[in-house]
Amino acid sequence: MRRAEPWRYAVLLAVAMLAACGASPKPPPEPRLRVQAQELESNGARRYAQGDYSAAARHFAEAARLRSSFDDAAAASRNRLQQAQAELALGQTQQALEHASQVTEAPLQVQALLLQVQAQLALGRADAAQGPLTRLISLCESRCAERGRVQLLRARTAWAQGQAAQAATQAEAALPLLREQSEEREVANAWRLLAAARLAQGDTSQALKAALAALDLDRQLAVPEKIARDWLLIGDIQRRVASSEARMAYQRALAVAQAAGLKDLVQLADQSIKETSR
Amino acid sequence: MSMLIEQDSEVALLHRGTRRFLLTGLLVTLLIIAAIFVRQGLLRQTAVLTFVTESAQDINKGQAVKIAGFKVGAVDTVTLRPDGQVEVELEIDADSMRFVTRDAVIELRKEGLVGSAVLEIMPGADRTRLAANGAKLAFTRADGLTAMANSLRDKILPILGDIKVITGTLADSRQGLPATLGQVREATASLNTLLKTGNQQLGDVGQAATRAVVKAEAGLVQLDKTLSTVNNRLPGLLDKAQGIVEHIEKITAEAESTVPPLLQDGRAVAGDVREILTGAKTAWPIKNLVDPPASSSLKADSDPRAEGSRAPR
Repeated sequence: MRRAEPWRYAVLLAVAMLAACGASPKPPPEPRLRVQAQELESNGARRYAQGDYSAAARHFAEAARLRSSFDDAAAASRNRLQQAQAELALGQTQQALEHASQVTEAPLQVQALLLQVQAQLALGRADAAQGPLTRLISLCESRCAERGRVQLLRARTAWAQGQAAQAATQAEAALPLLREQSEEREVANAWRLLAAARLAQGDTSQALKAALAALDLDRQLAVPEKIARDWLLIGDIQRRVASSEARMAYQRALAVAQAAGLKDLVQLADQSIKETSR
Repeated sequence: MSMLIEQDSEVALLHRGTRRFLLTGLLVTLLIIAAIFVRQGLLRQTAVLTFVTESAQDINKGQAVKIAGFKVGAVDTVTLRPDGQVEVELEIDADSMRFVTRDAVIELRKEGLVGSAVLEIMPGADRTRLAANGAKLAFTRADGLTAMANSLRDKILPILGDIKVITGTLADSRQGLPATLGQVREATASLNTLLKTGNQQLGDVGQAATRAVVKAEAGLVQLDKTLSTVNNRLPGLLDKAQGIVEHIEKITAEAESTVPPLLQDGRAVAGDVREILTGAKTAWPIKNLVDPPASSSLKADSDPRAEGSRAPR
C-alpha cells in the first residue's frame, strides 16, 4: 500500500478554496435602461445648474419617458417635476403647469403644488393660484422644509392680487425662513418683492434699502435678468422721490440688459429713460 | 569842416550796424515762429476719422492714436449725440492714412497691464481699399483687468466647488474615508479569523493523517513480520486492514464536515473585498477618475424671470 503524503491534503484544500471563491455568485448588473435614465437625470441637473434650461428640460423629459417605460412611476414623476421647473425658468409656463399638474404622488405633492402656484402667478392668474396655495399651506404647516418658499408664494399671491401691505408683511416673514435654508435666490426674490410692496405703500426709504439688498445678492449670483430688474426697481423708487439718480439707475438697467441681450428689458429701460427726460 | 564830414560817416556806420542787427533779430524771430508751427503740427496735413461708441469711458481729448505702436495722431473731439451715443473724432497724419483700410477697427487698450489708455488703429484684411478722409470706423474695447479678473474667477469657482465636494465626500461617515477604513478593518479581522480557522483545520487534518499513517506503518510492520505465516493469519490481518480503512473513512467524513464552513468563510471574505472595492470607488483619489453623479435636486427659484415683483406701472 502507498503512503499518502501530507502536502497532498494541503494542495487539495487550496484547490477547493480557489474553486469556491471563483464560484461565488456575482451581483446582477444594473439594467441598461435604469442606468440610462439615471445618466439623463444627472445630465439634466448639471445643465440646469449651468443655466441651460432648454437642454435640462429635454433631458428630464427623456428620463421621465424612460422611467415610465419600466414602470418606475415615482422616479418618472420626479423627472416630470424637474422638467416643469426647467420649463418655468424657460418661460414655457403653460407646459410647466401641465407637467406639474400630472404629478399626484403624495411625497411629491408639496413640490408639485409649489410649481403650480408659480406657474399660475407667472400666467397672471392670481385667483387660480389661490387654490393650490391653500392646499400647499395645509400640507406644509409647522415642520415643512419648504415653509420659506410657501411664505414667499403667499406674499407673491397677495402682491398679484393688489394687496401691497399684506405682500410686504408676508415677504418680511419669509426672509428669515429662507435665510435659514440658505436659499440665496429666494432671499433675493423676497427682497425684490418687499421693495416693490414698500414702494407701492409709499415707503421709499425702506423700498430702496430692500431693492439694494436684492441687487447685492443678485450680483453675487450673477443673474443679469434679475440685476436689470433690480435697477429698474431702484429707478422707479428714485423717480418717486424726484431724485436725479433715477436716470442713472435706468441707464444701468439698460446697460445690463443690452449686455445680456434681454430685448424686453432693453425696451423697458429705454422707455423709462425717455419718461425721466420729459 | 573836415571834422563835420568825419562825424557824418561815423553816424552812417552806426545806422547800418543797427539795421543789420534788427534784420537779423527779425529773421531769427520768424524762424522760431516757423519752428513752433511745425512742432505743433499746424503746417502738416491731417485727416479725420470718426467712430461711435456707447460710452466715453477712458476716452479723452488729446489721447494718443497709434498704428502698430507709433503715434500718428490724437483724439480731437468727444461729443455726446442726442441719441445718447458718443461720437469721437480723431485727427491723424494724412501720410498715415495709407495704413488705414475701410475695414480697420479702432481698439481702446491699455499700454501694459495698468498703463494709460490709447486708441490703436488695427488695419483690416483688405489692404487694397483704403479709408477716405472723414471715414467712420468700427470701435471695440480690449479686455481690461476687470474682465481678466472675472474670467479668472469663473475658472476658479468650479475648482473650489470640486474641492468642497471632494473634502465633503472624504469626511462623509457613510461613504468617505472613515467608512472605507472601517471596511478595511472588518475585512482584515475576517481574514485573520479565516487564516486561524484554516491553520486549525490543517493541523487537525495533519494529525489525523499522521495517526493513520502510523497505524498503517504498524500494520505493514506486522504484515512484514508475519509474512511467513500469512496464510495462517490472513483473516486476522484482513480484519486489521479493514479497521484501518474504516478509520480513514472516518477522517474523510470529518473533513467533509469541517471544509464547507471553511469555504463559507472564504466566500464571506470575497464579499468583504467586493465591499472594499465599492467603497474605494466612491473615495478619493479613485473617485476623481470617474465623473461624480450630479445631484438630482435642483436649486429652487420661485421667480426665475424676476417678473413676480414687477412694480405696477
